[in-house]
Amino acid sequence: MLKTENIVSQHQYRIAGLVIWILVCILLGRYFQIQILEFERYSSKSNTNRIRQVTKNAPRGLILDRHGEILVDNFPIYVLTAIPGEMINRDLQFKMIADYIESDSAVIAKNYNKYYRGQFIATRLAKDLNFDQISRLEENKLNLHGIYYDQIPERYYPSRVKAPHLFGYVKEVDRDIRKSLINEELYELGDLVGWTGLEKQYELFLMGKRGISFYEVDAFGREVGPALELNSQNPDPGQNIQTTLDLNLQAFIEKQMIDRKGVVLVAHPESGEILSAVSSPDYSPDLFTGITTERDWAEIQKDPDRPLLNRYIQGTYPPASIVKMIMEAVLIENTDFDVDVTQHCSGSYQFGDRIFGCWKPEGHGDVNMTEAMVVSCDVYFYKAIRACKIDQLYDMFIAFGLGEKTSIDIPNEVEGLIPNNDYMFKRYGRFGWSKGSLLNFAIGQGELLVTPIQVLNYINLLATRGSSPVCHFVMVGNLPGNVHPELESTTWDRIINDMRAVINHGNGTGRKAQPEINGMEIFGKTGTAENPHGENHAWFIGWAEYLDEKYSIVILLENAGSGGGVAAPLAKIIFSQFASTKNLAFK
Amino acid sequence: MIHWKKIDLYDIPWRILIIAIILTLIGLLALKSISYHHTKTLQNPFYKQVIFLLPSIVLSVLILFLPTYAVHKYSFIIYGAGIVLVILPFLDSEHAGTHRWLNVGLPFAVQPSEFAKIFTVIALARYLSDHTLKMKRFSSIIVPFILVLVPSVIVLNQPDLGTAIIMFTPILPMLYWSGARPFYLFMILAPILSILTAFDTTLFAIWAIVMGSLIFIGQPKMSIGMSLFFGNIFLGLLSRPLWEMLKPYQQNRLITMLYPEKDPLGAAYQIIQSKTAIGSGGLLGKGWGAGTQTHLKFLPVQESDFILSVIGEELGFVTIAFILILFGYLINQILKYSFLSRDRFSSLVLIGIATILMSHVFVNTAMTVGLIPVKGLPFPFISAGGSFLMTSYIMIGLVMRLSIHYSD
Repeated sequence: MLKTENIVSQHQYRIAGLVIWILVCILLGRYFQIQILEFERYSSKSNTNRIRQVTKNAPRGLILDRHGEILVDNFPIYVLTAIPGEMINRDLQFKMIADYIESDSAVIAKNYNKYYRGQFIATRLAKDLNFDQISRLEENKLNLHGIYYDQIPERYYPSRVKAPHLFGYVKEVDRDIRKSLINEELYELGDLVGWTGLEKQYELFLMGKRGISFYEVDAFGREVGPALELNSQNPDPGQNIQTTLDLNLQAFIEKQMIDRKGVVLVAHPESGEILSAVSSPDYSPDLFTGITTERDWAEIQKDPDRPLLNRYIQGTYPPASIVKMIMEAVLIENTDFDVDVTQHCSGSYQFGDRIFGCWKPEGHGDVNMTEAMVVSCDVYFYKAIRACKIDQLYDMFIAFGLGEKTSIDIPNEVEGLIPNNDYMFKRYGRFGWSKGSLLNFAIGQGELLVTPIQVLNYINLLATRGSSPVCHFVMVGNLPGNVHPELESTTWDRIINDMRAVINHGNGTGRKAQPEINGMEIFGKTGTAENPHGENHAWFIGWAEYLDEKYSIVILLENAGSGGGVAAPLAKIIFSQFASTKNLAFK
Repeated sequence: MIHWKKIDLYDIPWRILIIAIILTLIGLLALKSISYHHTKTLQNPFYKQVIFLLPSIVLSVLILFLPTYAVHKYSFIIYGAGIVLVILPFLDSEHAGTHRWLNVGLPFAVQPSEFAKIFTVIALARYLSDHTLKMKRFSSIIVPFILVLVPSVIVLNQPDLGTAIIMFTPILPMLYWSGARPFYLFMILAPILSILTAFDTTLFAIWAIVMGSLIFIGQPKMSIGMSLFFGNIFLGLLSRPLWEMLKPYQQNRLITMLYPEKDPLGAAYQIIQSKTAIGSGGLLGKGWGAGTQTHLKFLPVQESDFILSVIGEELGFVTIAFILILFGYLINQILKYSFLSRDRFSSLVLIGIATILMSHVFVNTAMTVGLIPVKGLPFPFISAGGSFLMTSYIMIGLVMRLSIHYSD
């Protein structure tokens, strides 16, 4: 049908041509109007008036404690900026500035290259200027063409609380960081971005929205006033976040942990709210704001005690005897092991050609399950574990959330390790491992590794008979789901009674945690983790019930000695603190 | 049917290609001026444009060897391929928040909607030349509309309103070319204008008067005329309350679909900067490479959407006038070939291409001087942009191919 005849008429062709030339004339007319008739106006506008766009950083949201006290605040600092296109002799000016602020011109030049974004965009040269420096610059303003200063909000920590691992820190966005951000269009060079801890986790809440204002500047780059034809937009401060932390308790525990290495976590088991979290040794949270010298940084990185490590989510430790509640649960629920029959502990136990020792070489004599818990007898559990399979044990660990991330609301949590049948196969081969390994698991040693935050979740689940929500640091409405181990109610009764006995019995390993306060009841378990690299790690986990409230606690002291001897007494101090704050609140 | 061996080189309207190359050279001149500080090759719009230019010209010459009957025969297959092409970017990851671009493993992404524009015109030309429409009947234009709307709506969802409009526009002159009464075409456009003008009372009043007079001149039946007029007025009056009934986030979603690049500060800022640049250029311009507005980076997207502002500032009104008149001449030539063409298919493809080119020129130029809102559409041959340069030269090749026997 290519032969269909063209039916366009001369008339149609003329109309179409007319339309084209009318459109061309409209465009030409408009250009004529702007370029010829209004030339003077635009010419002077281009020569003397330029519009400069200035961005104003939004202050980040504050971080508050559970009562609304400010933990992390903002504080305005002075920064020195340059408009590159307005500077006359860059090198000379850098030298002069270096003189006035007593800095090195090479540092200023380095900053200039780092933050440069364009000829007419303010580029940062230095920050944290003090009043003296500013007044010296002000006196010599005439020589410093194109140099300005500006105030920006920076992080500031007004309370007694340090908690650097929890708060995390912010970083200044440079080119590399900007490229690594998912929403890079929201950030400019020199902006702050949450890099670790809560600052990172809640970045979208905390960051706020940058404001923009437009200024008319004259040919010399001086601001003549706001550009009225363009709407400025005020910065929108970030949202505050309210944490579950209790400022006073946190400060108290931080003080207790000075000169100790390890972790203390305190929570409300019913809500999962963490009242206090200390990882020691720590560092001052303002280490990363202001000027961190290369030397400070190198020093803290090389410190053998690793203060930068957030031990409660990244430290992995053998759980030792604190797994014995899991052992009880497995034995009662999943095996036909008779828990009421006593077993004899002679101080060691021979299994195949290996001898497994009890922590007490003289032995505990005849013990039943409760007695074995109270004195933390290892031989009892060596004998009992033969009744169960590795995957039964594994399932119970997982049911209590051990060996898996707890979805705590700060980044970089690690998993720890709970081995199952497949894992042991892969690691040691089909015949390379025997039930002997299982004996180690019975007392929380061997390959087992857990993080303190998992242990906090574990103790919360015990304190609430399996119903506790996930542990968290920020008051939010929608928590992720937690594991909920389901045990018979008689099993719960048994485990909880045994944990009470650990504290209250005359020989209980946890007896030193008993603060003997009227109306306060304590449940707990100690653990002493053997550590091939040095002294044993001491564990105490448990909870206190006092005036209708429950407080759960996890204490881990690295290379400190036995759980009952070192960790339990610290627990007592903290339990007493609950009582005194509570009583204070009543008065 | 014409066999390519019979083509006489002197029959080919080379002037079309020469005009296109002249315009591209002017564009390169402007790109060279603003690329002064760029270093990396492919990020430099000047080099990128140079690299694309040669294959583009070769492509347009190769099209001369393409028999017209083949274009005609495979129009609908090409059209189908075009639809697939514009859907493909939705399967790729987003580029700058849109699905306009397709990553094909080259160092640059391609924009399939550019190519789909031509395919749509060809399919439409085929349909309108195969069916001698009873243009007195309104229903006969339904199929052509569907042909155009399918790719336009997909492109609108990428979202790319500018290209969707360009894709849609050719149907109006092409229907006119096929003998549709202008009054029917007006009836198609009327509801859109009624909705758009409804948000400004004065504008709506003017529109109501214009519409009333046009209906009076068009002289339809009394009942149709009345219902057309009041239907449109009703639609206009209804659109504002309907708009206000929407929740703010729904309004925002619509606005974002229509104006994906909308940035209330940005748009006003861009227009002011563009007008200042152009206005301060005056008759002869500030000189090549001497545009202060341009070089102080006050002017955004200089290499594509605002390339005319660069030319206006540095090379002045004379150059702008030269470009626009040359373009008017080019379009007029295409119209002439379309009129002289013996078969209807070629004639329709030519008017379609003329419309696409003219729409680009009008929207882009009008935007730089604040006549219409900012809409990211490039200026043919002059703006930097690989896919678009290539499609423009494909269109030039088609124009030359379809005009061969009627060159004077």
